Amino acid sequence: MKHLTSNVIILILLSLSSFCRAGDSTGASPALLSVPAPAAQKLPYVYTEWRHFTTEDGLPNDHIFAVKADSQRVWVGTENGLACIDKTTGKIRSWQEKDGLPWRVVSALDVNAKTGELWLGLFGGGLARFTGGRFDHWHQLNSGLVNDVVYGVAIENDNVWAATTAGASRYNTVTGEWTIYTEKNAPMEEIWNYGVSYNDGKVYLGIWGSGVLEFDVATESWKDYLDPDGEMEIDLYRDDGIVHVITTGVSFVEDVLWVSSYFGMCRYDGRHWRGFYAHETGLPSDFGNAVKARSATEAWFATDKGISVLADFSSDTWVTYTMDPNTHRGKAVVSQGKKVLEIVDMPRAIPHNYALWTEFDGNDVWVGTSKGLANAAGIGYYKGLKSRARHAATGREAKAAKSDGHETQEPPKRSG
Amino acid sequence: MKRCMFFSLIVFGILVSSCASRKQASLSEQTTEIDAETRQVLEKINSAGAYEVPDLGLRKDYNYAKTAEDVEPFGHVKPYKEHFLLQMEYTGPGRAIPEPEDVNTVKIGFIGPIMSTVSVATGGKSHEEVLGIKMLQGARLAIEQANAAGGYLKRSIPFELAISNDNGLWGASGNEIIKMAYKDNVWAILGTIDGANSHIAIRVALKAEVAMMNSGDTDPTFIETNIPWVFRCISDDRQQSYLLVDYMYRKLGLKRVGIIRASNRYGRFGVREINDGSRRLGNPIILEMAYPLGTNDFSLQLERLKAENLEAIVHWGDAQEGALILNQMRRMGMDQSYFACDRCLSDEFIEIAGDNAEGVICTYPWDPTGQTAPLKQFRQDFEQRFGEQPETYAAHAYDGMNMLIWAIQAAGLNRAKIRDVLAYRSKPWDGATGDIVLSAALDDVGDVYLAKRQKGKWKFYSREDLKVPQGYIPPRDRVSRPTLAAQLP
Repeated sequence: MKHLTSNVIILILLSLSSFCRAGDSTGASPALLSVPAPAAQKLPYVYTEWRHFTTEDGLPNDHIFAVKADSQRVWVGTENGLACIDKTTGKIRSWQEKDGLPWRVVSALDVNAKTGELWLGLFGGGLARFTGGRFDHWHQLNSGLVNDVVYGVAIENDNVWAATTAGASRYNTVTGEWTIYTEKNAPMEEIWNYGVSYNDGKVYLGIWGSGVLEFDVATESWKDYLDPDGEMEIDLYRDDGIVHVITTGVSFVEDVLWVSSYFGMCRYDGRHWRGFYAHETGLPSDFGNAVKARSATEAWFATDKGISVLADFSSDTWVTYTMDPNTHRGKAVVSQGKKVLEIVDMPRAIPHNYALWTEFDGNDVWVGTSKGLANAAGIGYYKGLKSRARHAATGREAKAAKSDGHETQEPPKRSG
Repeated sequence: MKRCMFFSLIVFGILVSSCASRKQASLSEQTTEIDAETRQVLEKINSAGAYEVPDLGLRKDYNYAKTAEDVEPFGHVKPYKEHFLLQMEYTGPGRAIPEPEDVNTVKIGFIGPIMSTVSVATGGKSHEEVLGIKMLQGARLAIEQANAAGGYLKRSIPFELAISNDNGLWGASGNEIIKMAYKDNVWAILGTIDGANSHIAIRVALKAEVAMMNSGDTDPTFIETNIPWVFRCISDDRQQSYLLVDYMYRKLGLKRVGIIRASNRYGRFGVREINDGSRRLGNPIILEMAYPLGTNDFSLQLERLKAENLEAIVHWGDAQEGALILNQMRRMGMDQSYFACDRCLSDEFIEIAGDNAEGVICTYPWDPTGQTAPLKQFRQDFEQRFGEQPETYAAHAYDGMNMLIWAIQAAGLNRAKIRDVLAYRSKPWDGATGDIVLSAALDDVGDVYLAKRQKGKWKFYSREDLKVPQGYIPPRDRVSRPTLAAQLP
C-alpha cells in the first residue's frame, strides 16, 4: 500500500513536470525543473556533461573496443590502432601498424600499476606490451600464448592474463613463465574465453559456452558458475544462477560478481544470484557486450542499444543513457525496474547506442562505442540514491521512453 | 607454397567461370532477383544513417525450432525467459559505410577443412577434409556460375573466393576469419563444419561485423548464440533428432535404445537431443558409450552395449567409424536396428560396411533424390564441372553461397546491408536442397528426412511418407501458455 502511494505521487509529479516544462529541450544544458523531489523520493546520480572523441579529434578509428584510464592518460583500443588521450593537455596521440603496433585491432587493454606498462590484447594479433615507446609482441608462434585472438587482458600481480578464443594464458612477467588453461586443466566446458578481470585475489573468466570461471590466486584452484538449467533456449528460474552460459564480461568488486551476456545480465554476492532482463529493468537490451562494476551496488552494462547503469541494486534503480539517432541529443532514463522516475534530456550523451566498453576514471566514466568514445564528467557524483531536484521530462520524452519499452505504470509484480 | 596453391585455385576458378555455359548462367536468375519485399528492405537500409536502426520488422517465432510440447526441456515448468523467438537486430553504424571505389573483384570468404593436419580437437589426424573439399566444390560452382552471368552486376566485376583452411585446431578458424575480415576484405563468409571451429568463427564474425553463412555444421548450439551476423542453411541435429526420436518411439514403439558416439564435440552435442527426447518420451537411453577417434576396435563399447539387451543402437560420428562399428556389431552377433547420423550416409560408409549397410537408417537434412528443377539442374551442372555426383556438403554449400551472392547483388558492397537483406528475406530460398526457410534465429528449419538403405540404395522418407506421429507443437511461446502440468486433469 505504501509502495502504491509513492507510485501515485511519482506519476503525479511526472505529469506535473511534463505540464510545467516550457518548450523543448534544445538548450546547451540539461533540462532541469525546479520541482523538489518528495522527501521519500531518492534518485541516483545522472551524468549530464558528456564529451565525445572521434577520428575528427585524432582517434585512429571510431570503432572503440577497449578503454583504460591510467592517471592522467586514457588509453583507447580501436579497430585500427591504439590512442592515448592526455587529460592535462587534451592532446591525442595514436599508433597504428606503421608506427610499430603489432596488429591493427586492439581489443583489450590493462595497465600494470607497479610498472606502468600498458598491455594490449590484439584481436588476431596476440598480446603486446607498450613501454618506453616500444611495442613487445607475443603470439602463438613465439610464446605460450594459447591463441592470437585475444578478447580480454587483465593484470594480476606480476602476471598478465589473456582471454583468448582457445583458452586462457597467464604470463609471469618476472619469470617469463607461461601457463595455459584449457579444458585439460580447468573446468572449461568450452574454451572460448571472452572476458577476464582481476580483483581481490581472484581472476574471473567470462567464457562463451562455459559461464564464468573463478581462479583463486592463493590456492590456484578453480570454481565454475554455470547456468543450472543447462538449456540454451530458456532460463528456467530467474535467480537460480548465471542467466546463460554464453557470457561476455565479468567484473568483481566488493565481493560481488557482475556478469554480462548476450541473454541478459546477472549479479552474484556469494550467496544469491540475481538476473536482469530488459523486459523488467532499465536495460535497453539483453545483448550485453561488457560490464564494469563500480561497487557492490553499482554496475555499468554496455549493450547494443545503449549504456545501462544499475545505480542502486537494492532499490532496482537504473539510469540508461542513449542517443537520439535523429537529433543526436542524449537522454538518460531513470527507472525503478521498468517504471520511469525521471527522464533527462541533454545536449549529448553517448556517441552511438552500440556500446562496447565502459571504464571508470575517478568519478568520471568513459564509454567506448562503435562510433566514437565518450567521457562523462562526474561532477558532484554520489553513490546510490539521494534526495534531489528532479530533471524535467517533456511529453515528447516521456513518449520516447515508452517507445523504448519503459513504462510509466507500476510493472507487474516480479517473482524474485 | 600454400598461398601459391590458393592463388592458383582462385585464378583457375575465374578462368573456368569465363568459359561457363549459358545454361549455367540461367541458374543464377534467383541470385539477381530482387523481390518487392527486399526492395522495401533496401529502401529502409539505404536511407538509414550511422545512428538509426531501421524498422525492418523483426521475425517472431512462437515456438522454438518446431519443438513438440512433450520434448521441450522442463516441460512441466513455465520458464522465466525463453530465447531465440525474436530476431536479433544489428544496431551498429555499419550501414553508413559507403561502397568502396577501388575493388576489382568481390571477395567472398570460404573456410572449411580442406587440408589435412594434426588436430587437437580430435586427438589426432584431422578427418573432415573429405567433407570440406565437397563443400568447396559446391561453393566454387556457385561463384563460377555467378561470374558466368556477369559477376557483380552493379560494377561488372567478378566474384572471387578467398579460401581458408579450417584445420581443426581449436582457434585456428578465428585467425582465419580475422585474416578474411581485415586482410582479404571479404564481404561475407561461408563455412565451417566442425562445431568448435564454427563457434570460434562466429564470435570473430560478430566483432568484425561480417555475415557468416554456415552450410555444414549441424550442431544445434551453433545458432543458439544470439549473434545477428550468423545464418545457417542446413537443418541441424536438433531437427534430425526430433524425427529420429519420434520414429523410434512413436512409430516403432522401441523401449531399449543405446548410443555409441564419437568422443568429440560433434558426437557429444549430436546426441544431446536424442538423449533428451528419449528421456522425455519415457524411454531413457539405456547406455551411451563414447569412443576415441581413430580407433578401429570398438569391443569395449560394444560388449557393454550388447550386455544391455538393446532393441536398437544409434551411432553419431563419422562414416568410417560408423561402418566399422556396424561390421563389428554384426560379427558379435548383435543384430539390432542401426540408426546413424547424416555423416554415415556416404560412399565411404557403404564401401566399408558392404552388405551390413542393408537396413541402416540415417537421419538426413534433405532429400537428394528429389526431382525439383533446381536440384536437377544443380546435379547436371555439378557433374559437368567436377565429373561426379554432388553430395550433401556440396549441395548445401552451393545453396549457401548462392544466398550470399544474392545478398551481395541486392545490397551492394556493404557488410551490414548484406546481412540485412539476408536476415529480412521473407521468401524461402528455392535451393538445390529444397526450400530454405529461416527461423527468427536465422536457422534453416526446413523438412528433414530418414534415409533407409534398401536393396543396395538409399531411400529417403519424410515424416509424412513414414506416417511418423509427432507431438503437439504449441503455437504460443512457453512463457505465456499453460504448462503441461497445468493441463493435466
